[in-house]
Amino acid sequence: MPIQSRNFKAAPMIILLSLLSLPLLIMCFYLIVDTITNTQPGTLIPDEITFEHWRFLWQTTENSSANIWRVTLNTFVFSITTATTILAISLTAGYALSRLNIPFRRFFLSGLIMLHAFPTITLIIAIFLILQTLGLYDSLIGVIMVKSALELPFGIWIMKGFYDNVPWEIEMAGVQDGASRFTVWRKLVLPQVQPGMMALLVFSFLTAWSELVLPLVLAPGNKSQVLSVYLATMLADESSIDFNLMKSVGLFYVIPVIITYMIFQRKLMNIYGGGTKG
Amino acid sequence: MKHISWLGVGFLTPALLIVGFLFFAPVVMTAVFSFTNMSTATGISGGDYLLSPNNLDEMQAHGVSQKTLDALADTTYQVDDHGLLLLAQEFGTEIANELKERHNNDIFKNRGELERALKDMKHRIRSPRDRKKAADLFGTSILNQRFTSKVDFITAVIQTGAVQADIPAVTSVAYTGWQWTTNNFKRLFSLPATWRYALNTLAYVTLTLVFNIGFGLFLAISTFYMPEGFANTFRTIWFLPRILPPVLYVLMWKWFTWDTGFLSTILAPLGIPAQNWMMQTSTHAWVTIILINGSVGASLGMILFSSAIRSIPASMLHASEVDGASRFQQIRHIILPQLRWPILFLTSYETLSLLASFEHILLTTDGGPGKSTEVWALAAFHTALRNYSGNLQYGYGAAFALILVAIGIAASLVYMRLFNFRDLVSKPRIER
Amino acid sequence: MNRTQLYSSAIAAAMLSLAAAPAFAEDYTISVWAGGTNPPDAYRLEAIEMAADMLEREYALEGKELNIQVEKRRDFGGWDQFKQAFTLAAEAGKAPNIAVTSHLDIAPWAQAGYIVPIEDYIDIDSWPTNNIYPNLISIARLGNVQWGIPQDSESRPMFFWRDTMRKIGYSDAQIDALPERVATGDYTLHDVLEDAKKAVNAGIVEKGYGFYPRVSNGPDYAQFYQSFGGKLVDPETGKLLLDRKSMTDFYQFFVDCVNAGVTRRNHIGTEWNQWYNEVSHGKAAIWHGGTWHYARYIKEGNEDFFGTIQFSLIPKGNKDEGRPNTITHPLVYLLAKQGDEDTLEIAAKLIKIASEPRINALHAIKSAHLGISPLEQDIDFYANDRWAREATARLLPYANAQPNNQKYGQFSQIMWKGLEAAWGGIKSPEDAVAEVEQEMKAALGDDLIIR
Repeated sequence: MPIQSRNFKAAPMIILLSLLSLPLLIMCFYLIVDTITNTQPGTLIPDEITFEHWRFLWQTTENSSANIWRVTLNTFVFSITTATTILAISLTAGYALSRLNIPFRRFFLSGLIMLHAFPTITLIIAIFLILQTLGLYDSLIGVIMVKSALELPFGIWIMKGFYDNVPWEIEMAGVQDGASRFTVWRKLVLPQVQPGMMALLVFSFLTAWSELVLPLVLAPGNKSQVLSVYLATMLADESSIDFNLMKSVGLFYVIPVIITYMIFQRKLMNIYGGGTKG
Repeated sequence: MKHISWLGVGFLTPALLIVGFLFFAPVVMTAVFSFTNMSTATGISGGDYLLSPNNLDEMQAHGVSQKTLDALADTTYQVDDHGLLLLAQEFGTEIANELKERHNNDIFKNRGELERALKDMKHRIRSPRDRKKAADLFGTSILNQRFTSKVDFITAVIQTGAVQADIPAVTSVAYTGWQWTTNNFKRLFSLPATWRYALNTLAYVTLTLVFNIGFGLFLAISTFYMPEGFANTFRTIWFLPRILPPVLYVLMWKWFTWDTGFLSTILAPLGIPAQNWMMQTSTHAWVTIILINGSVGASLGMILFSSAIRSIPASMLHASEVDGASRFQQIRHIILPQLRWPILFLTSYETLSLLASFEHILLTTDGGPGKSTEVWALAAFHTALRNYSGNLQYGYGAAFALILVAIGIAASLVYMRLFNFRDLVSKPRIER
Repeated sequence: MNRTQLYSSAIAAAMLSLAAAPAFAEDYTISVWAGGTNPPDAYRLEAIEMAADMLEREYALEGKELNIQVEKRRDFGGWDQFKQAFTLAAEAGKAPNIAVTSHLDIAPWAQAGYIVPIEDYIDIDSWPTNNIYPNLISIARLGNVQWGIPQDSESRPMFFWRDTMRKIGYSDAQIDALPERVATGDYTLHDVLEDAKKAVNAGIVEKGYGFYPRVSNGPDYAQFYQSFGGKLVDPETGKLLLDRKSMTDFYQFFVDCVNAGVTRRNHIGTEWNQWYNEVSHGKAAIWHGGTWHYARYIKEGNEDFFGTIQFSLIPKGNKDEGRPNTITHPLVYLLAKQGDEDTLEIAAKLIKIASEPRINALHAIKSAHLGISPLEQDIDFYANDRWAREATARLLPYANAQPNNQKYGQFSQIMWKGLEAAWGGIKSPEDAVAEVEQEMKAALGDDLIIR
């Protein structure tokens, strides 16, 4: 950090913040420890190492009849497809709104802002009816479409922001050289917004990976189940609560998030922070 | 606008299609649904025509004539020549002859009795399904029969001998689908529970927001003054609530607060009895949901504020150092003023998100204990899609949702003014 | 017959038998979804599987090859998710073939056209459906139509922790006589409150654990309305009935419990796991639950149910009104509407076979539910089970079911909301009932009678 001064002592702050962070750290610590150990009730120190909590990987458990690998595959398909859909559509729409002369542009932009902060989840009954009409209820394609649609206003807004920052001289030069707008966009502008593309892709992937309510309502079947639903079902089971098992599932579920987070940490902070500036 | 860019139109079309279809259309439909009595029993996609014996009383109340009622209530089955002829055609002459021999002109009280008679015969029809079909050849009762088309239904009603004038009333009672109504809103505004949900929502949004902003500011400022390594570590830690999937995040909290979980275990030696720290009282529940939601929002605040602080020119801060400003003076006079807009932005953004969000509460307290943490959006979800008795009131739930939608739109309009919408939608830079 | 002739006739015979073999096998996939079904209740699904095996054998003897694949599912994370999933799936035409659910769903699902009457596909008057208790099978009827077949029966008793009762002055003989006193109306809810107070005040149980009710909405609460003389339906018109006085008394009882410190004000929403564990080990003096709790208490480590716990009907409210009662809330097999009539028929046949006493007894014993037919009492396996025997005799004769009324779901939900408001101290019982009345009028309209 830029400022280091005799005037400010960092140590008390560090201690205070460490104390405040303790609950969160304890939760994370036991999230990992509890998946490979057993602990007697009433203590916090594990007394044996075991892999039985990971049994959900090779057998169906009492709490779920879905196959974990199928569910995991579904989650990847859901998240990756959703992220690419959002990216592809935001790329074109963002450019159109940022640089091109289209009718009702103002209207679209204000609509975008309005939809951006919308109580989307309350629309779920109507969304169900549309999916049902299309025959897409309880299918991955259906939730992918819905999730993409609901995240699009945000994606478009972000991409528009990135396009806005591209120096227009680049485009001007291309247009004056006689290239079509499309070619200019593809050859000259897209490379400029590549960091934005990456950030939006990762962001959308993580949002989709975390999504619970949409798949829970719109694709609850075993064939289209995703990990969030799988874990939420276990969590809601009132007949037995097996934290070790659930934590193992949870850890399994969060691994891709952590990996993505570690690789793209900086970019993510950018989009979570800067992205919402609109 | 002189030239329309067709490329732009083409570029925008996919977005318009998908957003229009799965976002805008649902908004309109929610508005429509909120004026219907749509529920589990009426179904969503339209109804059929069905009269059950229970409907007869209802029809009487609707002023249907006694003659029609008698005709409709008649469930008798008579073995007659017409029926026998059809029976012979479909199931063979042997059985038709036997039936004629044993039961010619007999009247059966209902279909079940006739089926029993058919079962007792030498040439019995083996499958119960076929026996039903056979029995139906001898009766005109339409009770408990489902008609998908209105025309078919009316034809069948006329065949029972019902009075023509009663047909509209009969049809309306028999219709199983949803109907238009304004009762949802009347009900919503007349019930005290509604106001409790509204108050809960207000408390939830306000308290969470205060925590969001306050703790977000604290994180941003305290890490700003820390050595790089510590700062990054803390930022990484406090970014977790935002990045962890809600189900897992809540699972960790549940374990932490469970009656056999961390808090209970660690407090046991102090003589504090084990309890569920999340649900023991409504205060526990409120504290938990505010901490859970608040820390998610605080992550966002931390990032937002940190980048705003970093953009403060270092010279300004140095100058204040030279002037001997204390830590608090510096924060108060230099940093906070710089954060005005980010704070305002986060406040407006989070207000709307919190109004509409219920995922964490659903997973944490599910509105309990005793509905004390039931917020508006969750009430909408519970009403329309998720409750113990499985009585899904889509119409009434849509009325709940519509009010949120209205608040959302109104708030967006205010915010657009606040954040200078004209700048946001300024003309494209390159026009041909 | 020479060798060639023999040979060729053998071939002919072989060909004939080939010709007689089924031209093609019939393949069916039958999906079954069960709500509120935990591991001990798995026979709700497995019974259908066993039935499939049986039916395949029957078909084979008739020379038909039948292959049934049964797809089972019970992991729904609670009733609310199950009902939502079924309702939306049915709306989208993707419902399972068979649903195992509350009989209360018959009315709304029948109107919505999600289910078809089982009587259209099987003969109810023959074995084994003709052996089901008549009052039980009638619970799956609506408008003179047999929509489903009961899958189990149960009832919801009051439980007493013997040791605590002893400590507040009951002799063993008196504790043994308690169920009888409850049944005759001598021991009332008033006494429940008094005894709970004694237990709390003497420090035998913690504050809030004198009377420790169910933690969430359920049919159990309608029992207390009945205890104070309330009726759920008007017997003459068949409409739902709100009896203001009984409802007020019922709410008042819970408020009194809270005020006396024997029940926690924020009891509703307690985690089930915690609750089961506590009641299994005597942390509560008096509580109420379901017959199937027997299995859970044992699973929680209480090896000696009969030595530690007494059970009875839900007592009447007070000496001069109401009746001791218990509600049975059987689950039923329902046939979801499908395009293919043959599949429906197969599914219906499976339900019928699954109702065989011997198969049903497996479920009854494993899950500590009660049997559906009197003949199960003649099966040693069932008759030897003390819980099944005693619970059946003590509770079932007094059991009634909630009405199959399309709007009962709303009725019970509003009743529950009122109770929550009174219990939590948000409203007085009178005000809560006034709000209930207002809300019921708005939601139920003509289908409600207020008394």
